[in-house]
Amino acid sequence: MPPRKKTDIAIKMEEVGMDIDGELDSGHEDEVRWRDRNRKVKLSPRAGGRNGKQATSEEEEEEEDEAQSKRAHKKKAKVQDSEEEDEEEEDEAQRKRAYKKKAKVQDSEEEDEEEEKSVKRKGPKAAGRNKKAVKQVSEEESEEEERGKKRKGRKSTIKNQKEGQNKEKKSDAKGKSDAKGKGVKDKGNEKDKKKKNAKYSSSSSSGESGDEDSLSEGEIAAQKEEVEEKKKLIATLRNKPWRMKRRLKLLKECQAFVEKFEGALGKGKGRKLYAYKVIIAKKMIKFNRDFDNFKTACIPWERKIKEVESHFGSSVASYFIFLRWMYGLNLVLFGFMFGLVVLPEVMMGLPYGSIPRKTVPRAQQAKAMDYSVLLDFGGYCKYSVLFYGYYNDERTIGLLQFRLPLSYLLVGVGIFGYSLMVVIRTMARNSDEGGDGGDDGQFTFTFKMFTSWDYLIGNPETADNKYASITTSFKESIVDEQENQKDENIHLRRFLRVLANLFILCSLGGSGFLIYFVVKRSQDFAKLDQNTLSWYEKNEVEVVMSLLGLVCPPLFETIAELEEYHPRIALKWQLGRIFALFLGNLYTFLFALFDDVNEKLEQEKYIKNATIWGLKEYYANYSTFHNTTDIPPPEIPPADVIRGPCWETDVGIEFVKLTVSDIQVTYLTILIGDFVRAVIVRFLNYCWCWDLEAGFPSYGEFDISGNVLGLIFNQGMIWMGAFYAPGLVGLNVLRLLSSMYYQCWAVMSCNVPHERVFKASKSNNFYMGLLLLVLFLSLLPVVYTIMTLPPSSDCGPFSGRAQMYDVVMETIEKDLPAFIGNIFTYATNPGLIIPAVLLMVLAIYYLNATSKNYQNANLELKRKMQMARDEEKNRRNNKESTNQVMHDLVGLLPNRSLIPPPAEEAPPPDNMSEKGSKFPKVAKRPGAVKVKGVNLQKDVSLAAPNSREAVTRPPGPRGPPGNARGPPPGPGRGRGRGAPPPRC
Amino acid sequence: NGSKSVVRTLRPEAFKSMIPTIPVTNMVCFFAVSHSQITRLYSRFTSLDKGENGTLSREDFQRIPELAINPLGDRIINAFFPEGEDQVNFRGFMRTLAHFRPIEDNEKNKDPTASEPLNSRTNKLLFAFQLYDLDRDDKISRDELLQVLRMMVGVNISDEQLGSIADRTIQEADQNGDNSISFNEFIKVGNLQHINVWAGDHYLILSYILLSVLQD
Repeated sequence: MPPRKKTDIAIKMEEVGMDIDGELDSGHEDEVRWRDRNRKVKLSPRAGGRNGKQATSEEEEEEEDEAQSKRAHKKKAKVQDSEEEDEEEEDEAQRKRAYKKKAKVQDSEEEDEEEEKSVKRKGPKAAGRNKKAVKQVSEEESEEEERGKKRKGRKSTIKNQKEGQNKEKKSDAKGKSDAKGKGVKDKGNEKDKKKKNAKYSSSSSSGESGDEDSLSEGEIAAQKEEVEEKKKLIATLRNKPWRMKRRLKLLKECQAFVEKFEGALGKGKGRKLYAYKVIIAKKMIKFNRDFDNFKTACIPWERKIKEVESHFGSSVASYFIFLRWMYGLNLVLFGFMFGLVVLPEVMMGLPYGSIPRKTVPRAQQAKAMDYSVLLDFGGYCKYSVLFYGYYNDERTIGLLQFRLPLSYLLVGVGIFGYSLMVVIRTMARNSDEGGDGGDDGQFTFTFKMFTSWDYLIGNPETADNKYASITTSFKESIVDEQENQKDENIHLRRFLRVLANLFILCSLGGSGFLIYFVVKRSQDFAKLDQNTLSWYEKNEVEVVMSLLGLVCPPLFETIAELEEYHPRIALKWQLGRIFALFLGNLYTFLFALFDDVNEKLEQEKYIKNATIWGLKEYYANYSTFHNTTDIPPPEIPPADVIRGPCWETDVGIEFVKLTVSDIQVTYLTILIGDFVRAVIVRFLNYCWCWDLEAGFPSYGEFDISGNVLGLIFNQGMIWMGAFYAPGLVGLNVLRLLSSMYYQCWAVMSCNVPHERVFKASKSNNFYMGLLLLVLFLSLLPVVYTIMTLPPSSDCGPFSGRAQMYDVVMETIEKDLPAFIGNIFTYATNPGLIIPAVLLMVLAIYYLNATSKNYQNANLELKRKMQMARDEEKNRRNNKESTNQVMHDLVGLLPNRSLIPPPAEEAPPPDNMSEKGSKFPKVAKRPGAVKVKGVNLQKDVSLAAPNSREAVTRPPGPRGPPGNARGPPPGPGRGRGRGAPPPRC
Repeated sequence: NGSKSVVRTLRPEAFKSMIPTIPVTNMVCFFAVSHSQITRLYSRFTSLDKGENGTLSREDFQRIPELAINPLGDRIINAFFPEGEDQVNFRGFMRTLAHFRPIEDNEKNKDPTASEPLNSRTNKLLFAFQLYDLDRDDKISRDELLQVLRMMVGVNISDEQLGSIADRTIQEADQNGDNSISFNEFIKVGNLQHINVWAGDHYLILSYILLSVLQD
């Protein structure tokens, strides 16, 4: 068996573990101070160097002396017979109480404490020694280690045990004798014991019968502590710099003790409680785990999205996450709308056909059920709960006296309030989490180097793309660096950029005009007889808008190439332009719609007048004919009543139509642009002149920006239209739901991953910002109509009122106590509103200023950190040179007393140097290098074939395998070649 | 596979019989994983084990697509193997995997006296560090960075550009001017707020792949 069985990795793991052991040995609160020190020691390379160097025996000797002198005045009688004995003493100090030394048995408690203190002081050094211990790893090491780990593990299960403050002498002594007895056992027995111990760990509450029934609580606690310590010792034993024989002996004793007393921990009263505690803790852990799993399983589409993510990277997944977020939002909106408006109307309102607004007019009844009419949301659709006009203006409906009109208004406004809140909250959270995602510049390359690979990628295609994207990102960084320096031909570029913007402005204006024109024309068409119109003429607006949405983005992209922006910036420009296009379209559409509305308002006024006039005529005729003043209302069936155009419903229908056509276009685009294309590319490729997959058509990429923008604008439509068409929200929920499955399928089956994947977190908040903008923009027209336009007189929940918000006034006046009305009157007084607005502006200003200050402070801090870093660098470099001398001197000291016996001598220097090399100065110590050079080279040559062994398959993108894998073995590499010249 | 003697003190057959009994208990404690996880891992282990001899070879690991594709896959796989070994048994497998277990909230302040678990942040970082530190001199040198870079970007970038990237990387992370990245410097980089994402999520992701991919 070779002396070193583990990989260096494993060994180093252990080293670190040992550091930590050393550190955590001191777990008690009063040792925090010590730990701090230790940490300091660990962190600063200088001290670390010492730590690593610890291996030299000198320091240990020192410690020992220290410990001994401490003890000296306590134990006068103690005899120090041999060096070994010395070592033992020190060990004792190190692990607080050892039961080994019978000769010096039973010192007083104070002494123990004393020892403990000395241990504390020595802690850091002990850690260093631990490191040294690794060197002494010999044949038994691996076994030892495994045992130790097992024990450690067991320890971790009983972590819950409370540790007592005092130590119980009786049990102590007992343990000792016990341990002594068992200590004679051979190794085989020990193994058995191990197993037993393991069993204990699983059922640590199954106490062992004993004679400690009379133990008090404190004693039990002490015992527990005792056992903890034992276990700790067992765990760290392998790190101790003792001979193997001794270690084994100690180990056996400790094991025996632990075995004996662990079970007895819960003796008497406390046992059951403890058992319960353990069981409950276990159950809790299990439950928490299951619950976490359950929670993850409950997140809708998590698996689907993860699947997409693993194939397409996080940016595409971010779209789906956004979609899911949108779905959640819309579900809530739908809940409001459905629960507070639609459902009450359906349950408690008048049924269909009872009043004119709930009945299809006679003229349309013949075709009211036609498919084409229904598709246009005419006929029965128009006179249903889906649209504004259907709702009755009764103040209260049903048994519950539900105030439907009020509820309608409040929900309509509340949808905006809720959305606003949610969007802003999400944005704030996002910005809290991800920052702006930009490069800080400090560690750009380091991050790229160490973090760019996505460990989740399991698909070769994606991996190729990831390679490409890493390459691109590195190239980008290089380009960034280069671009910072060069500024050639800036005039040409400026000119091109202006030109491009001009083009884009032109096309934006053109598309806006086109939409305006088309809307105008559609109004003309609307006046004509519906039957004479072709399908195109009826749907011109939608078709043109969708076409623009299809054509313009690629056009912009083409024009944007003139600008030669950095791709990241170009993407934002592109997003902004498409946004402007959509926005322009939307607003042109809205203005056209308002024209339409105004026209309808005129028309309605006329009809209203005519109706009033007719009624007057009717009353006059009735009173003259029947000669009575008790006139019953005219008995006209609801279908025949003359009614106004009800502009709100028309607006609602427009929005619903727009949404539906948007859905259709989106889905068709996916079907044709992605699916059919993929099918063609895939199957025609067998009989085509060029490679379709790699060549021109190729497979589609998932258009993240387009999809997200589409989603955002769709949401804008929903927000605007929801007031006029309560059913729109439900429709949207359906759309998002189907879209989730459909797009997941499409992206997985027909798309290829992006070549450049842009950072998801960054764009996510950008999208959120766009969403917020859209929300504000869609808020405007709705609020405008609510506040200024008079509602239709014969349809909708606000009919017969001068303004929609009169409902609120009405409620305040009639249903609330008078003083609230007064308060409201004061509150709506301009004298109060203006100061309030002023206050808000001031608050915004103040907050803005504060945030700017914070930003500045942040920058300042960053700068300071940078400065500190540089300073540290310099200081270290300076120190290094002085350190060098120190180390040389130290190396010259004749200090061999603690050098391990020859048998174990071979491995230590090797390991030690490794340890030391964690801290550069030591590594560079010229003195050390000479001795260790040979071993080191062995090290390197060991590592190299090892890593080479793994290569069984030459992967494409990894470059030349000879270069890529394993360092070329030889003296030229690693530390072995000698010390690099010290800096400064 | 008869030449290795270290881990083979536990013969495969013995192992299989032991798995359901004692070692599982030990491992439950040591790696702080649940019984069900171990059984799952063990079934995954056996399904990976094409040779059906109770140990895994490098080829077995390379059958995992995520590892096969990963530019550092070989190094990750190497981390499973004790030096000079071609086989890893279930215990070794578990030991390496234990590094990747996510740190749970309830563990963070559970017991200050316990020794640092394998899955602590430092140990995770150390594991990551060693993926880059090929010659095990506790420093990531320029050459080692270049190797990683070649693996990641292939031959698409010219050598001098790669060199400048490596130089920039070292320049960014190096604090004591020895033209290499030591573990302390590596940790410092890892301690920056930004890279918390990295040390947390990134290696959580690694843990995720290894725990989920391996567990499948």
